[in-house]
Amino acid sequence: MSIVQLFEVAIACDVVLCCRVAPLQKAGIVDLIKKRTSDMTLAIGDGANDVSMIQMADVGIGISGQEGRQAVMASDFAMGQFRFLVPLLLVHGHWNYQRMSYMILYNFYRNATFVFVLFWYVLYTGYTLSTAINEWSSVLYSVVYTSAPTVIVAILDKDLSRRTLLKYPQLYGAGQREESYNLRLFIFIMVDSVWQSVVVFFIPYLAYKNSAIDSASLGDLWTLSVVILVNIHLAMDVIRWTWITHAVIWGSIVATWICVIIIDSIPTLPGFWAIYEVMGTALFWALLLAVIVVGMIPHFAAKAIREHFMPNDIQIAREMEKSQDSRDANQPEVQMSTSTRA
Amino acid sequence: MSVSGSESAASANKPKYSKFTQQELPACKPLLTPGIVIGAFSLIGIIFVPIGLASLSASQEIVELIDRYDEECVTASDKIGFIQDSKANKACTRKITVPKPMKGPIHVYYQLENFYQNHRRYVQSRSDQQLRDKDYKDPKAVAKACDPEATTGDGSLIVPCGLIAWSLFNDTYAFSVNKKSVTVNKKDIAWASDKNSKFGSNVFPVNFQKGGLIGGGNLNDKLPLSEQEDLIVWMRTAALPTFRKLYGRIETDIMASDEITVVIQNNYNTYSFGGTKAVVLSTASWIGGKNNFIGVAYVAVGGICLLLAMGFVVLYVVKPRALGDPAYLSWNKEAAEYSH
Repeated sequence: MSIVQLFEVAIACDVVLCCRVAPLQKAGIVDLIKKRTSDMTLAIGDGANDVSMIQMADVGIGISGQEGRQAVMASDFAMGQFRFLVPLLLVHGHWNYQRMSYMILYNFYRNATFVFVLFWYVLYTGYTLSTAINEWSSVLYSVVYTSAPTVIVAILDKDLSRRTLLKYPQLYGAGQREESYNLRLFIFIMVDSVWQSVVVFFIPYLAYKNSAIDSASLGDLWTLSVVILVNIHLAMDVIRWTWITHAVIWGSIVATWICVIIIDSIPTLPGFWAIYEVMGTALFWALLLAVIVVGMIPHFAAKAIREHFMPNDIQIAREMEKSQDSRDANQPEVQMSTSTRA
Repeated sequence: MSVSGSESAASANKPKYSKFTQQELPACKPLLTPGIVIGAFSLIGIIFVPIGLASLSASQEIVELIDRYDEECVTASDKIGFIQDSKANKACTRKITVPKPMKGPIHVYYQLENFYQNHRRYVQSRSDQQLRDKDYKDPKAVAKACDPEATTGDGSLIVPCGLIAWSLFNDTYAFSVNKKSVTVNKKDIAWASDKNSKFGSNVFPVNFQKGGLIGGGNLNDKLPLSEQEDLIVWMRTAALPTFRKLYGRIETDIMASDEITVVIQNNYNTYSFGGTKAVVLSTASWIGGKNNFIGVAYVAVGGICLLLAMGFVVLYVVKPRALGDPAYLSWNKEAAEYSH
């Protein structure tokens, strides 16, 4: 039987058992599937003879146990028992996919929104690359104003609980079907980014068109608008709100405000005192409110429509969890101690 | 399959438990229910429409008179030659009729169009340290900051240097209402913060507008920069290419049907680049200047949100879905279709 025939038979089966296999042949079997399909391969083993197989696979898992620690040292993940593979994939694999996908899309969105605002301004500066936003704010945007919420949400957010994910293994298919990170979602989030930048730029532009507004004040309005918008966008997408999530999202907005005030209190910078002057005008607050609301309406409406009329499995499972939680709350406490974790 | 190691070794390797590291922090998991969606849109509509109407009414009450004079004030065919001729008589008289009563203080602005104070080379051509500190004379640093208007032909430093100061607007306006002259209060037109901290009270103009190309107005050598309010207002560069800057205030009221006569010294050259000039008289209000946009925008957004709220009500009634119904899970739906 040739290699190709072996592959075709193996693909047609649900489960294939190989016995009396040497270490290099184990690696060869993984390689057989890896080379001929675009699927992800995972290898799990506990002995020294599993090392080449573990290294050949995309994801290698070593069991530290009876046969020593060679498998662990060659692996990407190490566990104590074979049965831990189930929560590794269904729970942690699922969470990891959701978080990574959202974080990447959100990162593109928040940087693109900021840059597109500057892009629209180029059209009104004689095509020169002036920026009304203070240089310090431009640097601090990625570092202080919007980084902490991104990181915290990417670490802590969970779309479904461990219990639900173990109860319905079919939910793992969401990752296999690329439901959280695909071209369609990327285009949506870029369109949202362009829309919000248009709102942030053109609403103040039309209001300030023939007025005495100076660059620094307009730049401060943009800075605050963009930071508040991207953080509220994140707040709308966060699924699980812990106290840390609240602290970083609202705290970033407050920190941005404080930084803008401090930057505009330094006499050596050109925008000196602009924020105090502009905050004293009613038009500034009216514009800030208008920009935030108009920027968020499409995202909010799209989310409402998508979640109610075209729900995916994860959305249904979230709703089931919520009703389950309220049922649990009305019944005697069921202890979820650590020892019952799989 | 037995667990590896002895009891004490296992508990020595066990990571310290905390709610944060095991990601078991208490959390709330809000869901977007139909009630929240409809409530949010209705709330926005209810808040925005009144704000919009209030803004619109405030804007309608503002009386704004704009008179563009750059075209009609120069009758010569060679406009650029005329404006650059320092000996020509540049006085120009304009008449404006007041449609509605204007309560003082009435703000007088000059409005420029197609003037890019936000152009990158222009915006950077200034030295804030020189404006503040009379001892700041480092020629290399000043030259770098203020290029090309940093030094005169023989290398002596210009104070204030840079293109922004060099292009100072210098048209002047003299107002009279019904043939009686009215004073324009030119004090406190600049930001107090600029006068106190950005422009030094011991810095005086030196070598200003002495070069071959005159870019704009001249400065009184005897006044320190902190008192040159027109310069300070001009140096707060405008964000957009169409802008106005405060010229002064008329403290008295003006009645309806009064005739305002403005004698303009039409000095400033906007003809070389196709810019326009206008004089603007405007009453003040909490909304700033006369602009219907913010009122219209608020009413429009409020209206759209109320429409969206009603649309969602209809949608939720036509296509209801029980929250958390397992029948909608894709594998249950497939099984249901399969069994039909």
